[in-house]
Formats: sequence, C-alpha cells, structure tokens
Amino acid sequence: MAKEMIAMILAGGQGSRLYALTQKLAKPAVPFGGKYRIIDFPLSNCVNSGIDTVGILTQYQPLVLNEYIGNGQPWDLDRLYGGVHVLPPYQQASGSDWYKGTANAIYQNLSFIDRYDPQYVIILSGDQICKQDYSDFLRFHKEKGAEFSVAVMEVPWEEASRFGLMVTDENDKITEFQEKPKNPKSNLASMGIYIFNTDVLKKYLIEDEADPSSQNDFGNNIIPNLLKDGRDMYAYHFNGYWKDVGTIPSLWEANMEIMDPEHSGIDLFDENWKIYSRNSGMTGHKIGSHAIVENSMITDGCRIEGTVKHSILFAGVQVESGARVEDAVIMGNCIIKTGSVVEHCIVAENAVIGENAVVGAMPTDKNHGVATIGPGVYVGDYAKVGPDAMVNHNIKDGEVQW
Amino acid sequence: MVNSNSDAMSIIFPNSYDNQVPELVSERLMASIPFASRYRMIDFLLSSMVNCGIDNIVVIVRKNYRSLMRHLGSGREWDLTRKNGGLNIVPPYAEKTVNVYNGRVEALASILEFIKNQREKYVFISDANIAVNFDFNAMIDAHIQSGADVSIAYKEEEIPYGFMNLQPTTSSDLYYTLSLDNGRVKEIQINPKEQGKQNFSMNIYLIERERLIDLITKAYAKGNVYFERDILAPQLNTLKVYGYKYEGYSARISDIKNYFDENMKLLDDENLDALFHAPIYTKVRDDNPTRYIGNARVKNAMVADGCVIEGEVENCILFRGVKIGKGAKVKNCLLMQDTVVESNADVEYIITDKEVTITEGKELKGSDTFPVFVAPRKTV
Repeated sequence: MAKEMIAMILAGGQGSRLYALTQKLAKPAVPFGGKYRIIDFPLSNCVNSGIDTVGILTQYQPLVLNEYIGNGQPWDLDRLYGGVHVLPPYQQASGSDWYKGTANAIYQNLSFIDRYDPQYVIILSGDQICKQDYSDFLRFHKEKGAEFSVAVMEVPWEEASRFGLMVTDENDKITEFQEKPKNPKSNLASMGIYIFNTDVLKKYLIEDEADPSSQNDFGNNIIPNLLKDGRDMYAYHFNGYWKDVGTIPSLWEANMEIMDPEHSGIDLFDENWKIYSRNSGMTGHKIGSHAIVENSMITDGCRIEGTVKHSILFAGVQVESGARVEDAVIMGNCIIKTGSVVEHCIVAENAVIGENAVVGAMPTDKNHGVATIGPGVYVGDYAKVGPDAMVNHNIKDGEVQW
Repeated sequence: MVNSNSDAMSIIFPNSYDNQVPELVSERLMASIPFASRYRMIDFLLSSMVNCGIDNIVVIVRKNYRSLMRHLGSGREWDLTRKNGGLNIVPPYAEKTVNVYNGRVEALASILEFIKNQREKYVFISDANIAVNFDFNAMIDAHIQSGADVSIAYKEEEIPYGFMNLQPTTSSDLYYTLSLDNGRVKEIQINPKEQGKQNFSMNIYLIERERLIDLITKAYAKGNVYFERDILAPQLNTLKVYGYKYEGYSARISDIKNYFDENMKLLDDENLDALFHAPIYTKVRDDNPTRYIGNARVKNAMVADGCVIEGEVENCILFRGVKIGKGAKVKNCLLMQDTVVESNADVEYIITDKEVTITEGKELKGSDTFPVFVAPRKTV
C-alpha cells in the first residue's frame, strides 16, 4: 500500500558552532530539555502528525544517533511496513559519494522514497526545536493545489536579512525567493521544512544532480529552479515556537525557555503532543534534606543535596551538598562536587566539576557568555572556568581557564 | 547453543497476599501495586530475572489482573518480547466447570502441558509481594552445590505485624518459616507467631522442571492445594529441600502501614542504592521532567517525572504526574500517580491512590502509626 506522505529528516549537520558538544555526535543528537535529544522533536512531530515512515539522513559522527534511534520503538516507529530508517551515504555500483548537499542527500535515497510510493514527501531539519503539526501543513499544501510548499515564520524586519526569505502574494503563493538579502522584500523566513509532490521532487533532484555547477542544496538550487519554472509554490505560515539551536547561547536559551512554558510558548507538558524519547530507566530523583531547589526541571536518577536554581538537570546528575547550580544546563550523569559554583553555562554529559571549582559566571553588563564544558571533562578542585570558555579537555586542580 | 541465557524458566504468582492490602488491590493485584515512585511490585522480580538471563517467564493471574496486563503489555519494556519464551500471561481457564484456581498446585496443574513443552532444566517459582533485586544465578549455583531437589530462598527477619495478624478464616494465603539443619530444611512452619528473627521464606523456589512436573502430577491427583503445605512439608525426609539465605535488600509488603514504611525507607540513599544496584525496568510513560516553580520548597523527597511542584514537600514519595499547588503543604506522604494537591491544602501522613484530588485549602492528617488512605480517583 502506498503511503500518503513520508518524512525525510536531514540529520547530517555537524553543528560546528556547538564545537565542544558535537565532537563525537551530530547536532540532532545533542541532549536537550532534561531528557530529550534534539531529534526527538521532529520525530515526535512526525508520529503525532500520523507519519509512520521516516528516513533519517546521517553523515557526520552518526554513531550516537544510530544507537539512539535503534529500531525506533520509543517513538512508536518500529513498524512492519515503514517505521524509522537511518540512511547514511552508501556505496553504489557507480561509485560512492558523501552527501554533497541537502538535495544530494535526498537524491541518493530516491530508491528509499520509491519503496513507499508516497504522494508527498516532507523534508525536515533534524536540528530544530519545534512542536508542529505536519498534517496541518499537508492540508494547506493540498488545499492550495501546491507542488511545493515551505513552512515560514515571520521574523523581525531588522533580522530578516539573516534568513532565506519568501516573497508571497496575498494568496500565499511564492513569487520570489531571497537568500540572506541586503534589502529584504519580505519578513517570511524559511524554516527549512518543505512538502513536495513526489513526482516534482524527483524531477528536480534528478535535474539538479545532472548539473555539475550545482551545490546540490535545496535553498540555493532546488527552490530557485522551481521558481524559474513557474511551479505552484506556497508559503505555509507557522507561528508557534521554533528555534534553530545552532549556537551555544541559543541552545542555552532554548533550554531555559523550556522551564517557562507560560511565556516561551514551548510546552512539554502538553498531553496531546508528547515529545517521546529513549528512557534512562533510572529511579525517581531525590531531593535531600538540606537541598534547595527553585524554578528548575529535574528528571530521573538525579540526587540533589546542594542548591539548584533556574536550571535543567538531565538524568543521573548529582549535586553534592554545598554546591550551587544556577542558570545552568547540566547534562546526563554529571557530578557537581561539594563547594563548587556552576552558573550560566552548559555542562555536557559525564563531566565532573571538582570541589570548590567555579564554572561560568552570572551575566554582567560587560559579559554574558555561556561557559561550556564538553562531555566527560574533569574540572579539578579549585579550578576556574570563565564565562566565555569552551572546555574540551580536563582542567587540573587550581588551574584557570578563560 | 551459545550459553548466554540462564537454564531456568520462571513462574510468578502475582495475586499472592492480595488479602494483606485490601485497600491497594480494589482495582489491581499485588504485582501491580505502585512502588518506589515509578515502579510496580512485579518490576523488581521481573527485571532481576531478565538481568540474570531468564527470558521465559509465566505469570499465572487469578483475579483483578487487568491493570497488570496493561502494565506488562507484550513484555517489551523488560526485553521479554521473544520468539522463544518471553512473557506469557496465563488467565484462569474458563472452560468446563473449572473455577479459579486455589493454591499453587491447581494453578501449576492447569499449565502442566505448557511446562512439559519447555526446554529449560530449572524452574523458579515466586510471588510478587517482595521488591528485591535478586541474583537468581547465585541461587542456581547454591542449588547445584547443595545437591538439593528444591531450594527455598529465605531471609532472616522478623515476621511483620501484618502477617502475625493474619486471619486464617478470611485469608487463603499462608506464610512459612524454615527450621534448618546445615542448610537443609528440617521443618516448615505454617503461619507461625514466633517473635524475633526467623528464617522467613521469601517464597522463591528453585526446582528441576522434570521434578516439578512429577510432584504436581501426583499432588493434583490427590487433590492437594498448597505447594508448601501439601507437597514440601510432608516430604522433607525424602525430598532434599534446602534453604538459600538471601542477605541483600528487600521490601516485603504485608499491610498498608508497612507498604508506606517500605516506600519511605527508600528516602535513605543507602537503601535506594541497595535495591537498585542492577537496573529495574518498568513501563515508560513519556512524562516530561519534573518542574519546580517559584517558591517550591522540597526536602527529603523522591520524585518521579511529570510532576509540577509549587508548594512545600517534605519526606515524601511522589509518583509520576503529581501536582502540588501553591502554598500547599505535603509532609510524610506517599502520593501515587496523577494525584493533585490543590493550593493551600495541608496534608500529612496520607497515602493517595492514583488520580486523587485534595481540593483547595483542605486539611487531612493521618499519623505516624496510621497513615490515612484515599482510594483511587476520589476527591477530598
């Protein structure tokens, strides 16, 4: 039986600006929001929207992501026909190729799409924090009789020139596309989420592949080619929460926003739109007799004896007595030892902050950097890590790192 | 075959000792009683078995088993969705005029054909009223070393109040202590009342499958009911029955007060670590992390995911999805999943079953010796 729509998630992103966090894993696998990884958002959106066939295109450091996705069971994507499939580049009779660009990644997996014979294909980005109903997007696509639709967000005019912009008529039909223009004619930014009629997608991917001068990119090549040919292209307005967590500050900020659903608009407590993830399997968390916990999110396996304010703690984090954690994102299984102060920072998985060490600093007028400690890093006793530091190696006792 | 699995299957009786906690089993059975903030009683034995490589597990249910079936599903969370073996839930046969079984002999006789068709050498038999992270392989080793026909796991502990007060007329569950001579069981006491530490049977039995089939076939023909009373106790001279002393952590549910206490004991990290030294699996609910808002003040608590806490919490076990409103005071309480304590309510020493609501400003207090119980879905 043919599927109505399948999803292809582009998950090859290196996330080079998240440097310390993405040495050993791709950006979509970066932990987020206490018990999730970024890819949980597009995956859960797919399932909640009724899409049961998903291809995940990986390239950069895919090991963690592969293991995390597994057979797709946590997202209910272990299906007899369909389900979730990780699609790395592979060798073919004609030779082998890395994915040259976003369009080429899909091109190399056209046979995967063919297997399910879908009417529509939705292309998603694996590194955005967003709760979106793709079935509503598809309804729009069908109502407009579109061949191609793109989800767009209104952005402030002064920031518009940082985005790929869709200029539309009053009927939401796209008339022009501007990639990071100096003089924006629109403030409708592309979210990098597209619905294609499958036949149109295939035609343009094949033509794009045949063009040796192409960068094989949706934004730079495919969309301009569609426009040039006068295809029926529409912009679907999305006005919910959407964040591309490409930088340390934006990743930190998005984590903080999770704690304030009343204002930020991203509500993980929504029973009707759950975000699924692979479970840590740990016991309920423990708050000790002398602990202070305020305005924070804490999950299974944590043990809190010290002070935690306005922070997100992932599974199995230990905060010893006398330690203070504020405005911080502490990923899984970190140990924050007694007397240490950890502020306004991101600490990646399995890091250890030694006794009386200082990591990060509350923002001042001059500096509001978000200090970052890489996975498994040991910060020695009495060591000091400044607010702009991105630490990827162990720091000896008493050493200072700015 | 590569020997990555244990050469034992196991049979669990999830309804045993239901009568000890009538409050908690009104809509469930012993095995599905919530425990330790996010688990059900059966998770402990089931996970221990799986961790020991036992992957052929039969659960013989008797009544009120809907909640257990919902919890276990296909057994996937325990890695028990297997082509060979896996998890088998056996409801009472509704054929002929057979009534729901009484005692283990009838129950085992009803699945005798199934047991005959299995391949494992050994069979474990257990109840589900003990939360324990049990090493079944160590028991098999001890069993082989002693040359026993049957091994019984026991723990040196006092018989809890809930058992001492057992009313034999209203309860069909018996409990047992063992008199040992050099490890061999010389006598099995049935419902003894002795004070002080006893060799208190955990009702975890290990026996060769062929031997079990033989014993059950004979006992069933004679109309026997109880495995311990009618099969083991009278044959201690001919059957080599050995005690296997368990010295690790365990929590045995004997009445509602002790249920409360055993949960509270886990607020001590030493006890918690002892019980969870190997992973315990349970059904996943996909709750978000727990959120502490504003002036939430929490001391000495174990909290599962999905809670929203705005009030004061002290010495409590909170299960998944519990909501504590602004200004509410919750002290020495065990609140099961999705309990809501509205703002400015003041509760102490209460046990709420699932989906209970304590309305705004209400005051409800039990005591150290008598925690107040609120039945599922009730509004106070």
